Amino acid sequence: MASTEELLEAYAEWRTRSNANPRLTKMVRGWDRVIHFTTIDTGQAFTMRIEGQQLSELAVGHEGQPDVVVTGISEDFCDMFWGDLNPSEKYMSGEITLLGSQQDVMRIDAISMVAFLDS
Amino acid sequence: MAGYDRECEVVVVGAGYSGLAAARHLARAGVDTLVMDARHRVGGRSFTEVTPSGFTVDRGGQWIGPTQDHLAGLAAELGVATFPTFTEGQGVELRDGDRHQFVGLIPTSDAEGAADGIACMLHLDLASFDVPLDAPWTAPDAAALDAQTLASYFDTHLTSASARVILEVAVKAIFGTSSAELSLLFTLFYLHAGGGLTNLARTTGGAQERRFVGGSQQLAEGMAAELGERVLLGTPVESVFYGPDRVTVGARLVPTGADPAETDTDTDTDTTRHPLLVHARRAIFAMAPVLCGRLRYSPPLPGNRDQLCQRMPMGAVTKVHVIYDDPFWRADGLNGQLVAPGAILESAFDNSPDDASHGAIVGFVAGDDCRRMEMAGPEARQAAVLRALERAFGPGARTPVEVVEQHWPAEHYTRGGPVAVSTPGALTALGPALRAPVGPLHWAGTETATEWCGYLDGALSSGIRAADEVLDALKGEPVGLD
Repeated sequence: MASTEELLEAYAEWRTRSNANPRLTKMVRGWDRVIHFTTIDTGQAFTMRIEGQQLSELAVGHEGQPDVVVTGISEDFCDMFWGDLNPSEKYMSGEITLLGSQQDVMRIDAISMVAFLDS
Repeated sequence: MAGYDRECEVVVVGAGYSGLAAARHLARAGVDTLVMDARHRVGGRSFTEVTPSGFTVDRGGQWIGPTQDHLAGLAAELGVATFPTFTEGQGVELRDGDRHQFVGLIPTSDAEGAADGIACMLHLDLASFDVPLDAPWTAPDAAALDAQTLASYFDTHLTSASARVILEVAVKAIFGTSSAELSLLFTLFYLHAGGGLTNLARTTGGAQERRFVGGSQQLAEGMAAELGERVLLGTPVESVFYGPDRVTVGARLVPTGADPAETDTDTDTDTTRHPLLVHARRAIFAMAPVLCGRLRYSPPLPGNRDQLCQRMPMGAVTKVHVIYDDPFWRADGLNGQLVAPGAILESAFDNSPDDASHGAIVGFVAGDDCRRMEMAGPEARQAAVLRALERAFGPGARTPVEVVEQHWPAEHYTRGGPVAVSTPGALTALGPALRAPVGPLHWAGTETATEWCGYLDGALSSGIRAADEVLDALKGEPVGLD
């Protein structure tokens, strides 16, 4: 079980890496989105924005109308942000779920995989 | 052999999933329908068999995945259960003499290459949404896309040689051919129809998610059972005579026990040489374009339709089942998935039954490997397959109980597999001829599907679409044959 502070710290590291990754910034070109995260074990809520090919800081709580809703266990999110967990494995097992349009889900899926591989 | 004539309202040629779905749809609408198939079995590219050792294997199409609603509906209706493809544990990658294990969709021994490959797959998948499913030839830049191959796209969008070889493995497994033989426009259409390359390559959550308990051919047999004596097996149609509102198909009659392909020696086009003539108001040809193109038509088909049949060749694949006493690789934390670029067996999955009463690996020898190994012969092919499996899963893989091969290019009434593909330029020049009826002749088969093209689900929907087309055409026409 990961605390809010742990999640924010892991995300901050992931964000720094991702925003400096040319492959990832290219993958989000022209794709400004609001993404809500919900942890099913601790009930935490976060909001991430992608604007101008950059990931925003993670805001606590759900803000705005989401394009994609990501649901999973807090520890898995933490491990994913630290680059210790292959998100593909969790999607395939259904332990992390993505809700959104087909294109948006496809893009989040690919971005998280590339972020993992490039970490 | 004494000849005879049959009459019906609609004759369906081909008793695969598509033809049976069409015939069933028509029969349920009260239309007098006959289905003919050259073989002594139904199912077409779905072919379940019990091996000499007593194992049930699907020699053809076998998987069902999310959003394949026609297939899921049929399975539910017929009470055929499904079970998940085994994915627990790690896959094995063999590359450049090394062995690696990986988790998930794509081998990760070269992380940079894997990331490059995923970014490219995403780019392809997103681009596919711009290609209209019902008319790919109207896509923005359709002519430019159709003038390229998928290989030329890879040349300009992949920076990593490692990513290229992994994507080629996926392409060969999906299409039975290499990226150099695929129109980019066709590829984008095909990806759109199946929810994207990532979706087509996936097990869990994708096209290979589940299998049918007892094999996929049961679904064809279930449809055939409903049609009963309307299904005529061992009747290879060879000639088609048609006018504005009627059609006659001429077929041979192959005795039970005889091989329809072996007896296909009659080249005489005289109608009197066809022991069976079926007269109908409409005909549905539920088979791949290359098979439609092999029939003799009088009058000849319009040039564009004939050309289309020449420009959509079948892929080449040998499906290999290697059967063991038990799925021993699972004890080592492996899920049976193999990715082996450059090997004869480049991709494989765990194909053991749900109860794991024995072990089975299913793999694909595809594209040029399939063609080359046909020349080398089955013994060389099997030896190469077992070498790859031994490297991947250990010495236990060396001694299977049985090896079952289905070499689809040598199937006289399929001519390859798993699907027909479109060569560069064909879709933009000839695409409208894919489904457009020619007088009383209508076209079905999974290659005509707009969703899940190339899959069992697409076969079903294409049959239903063609049947609806016929029902519309028959409205207002006088009932019966003149």
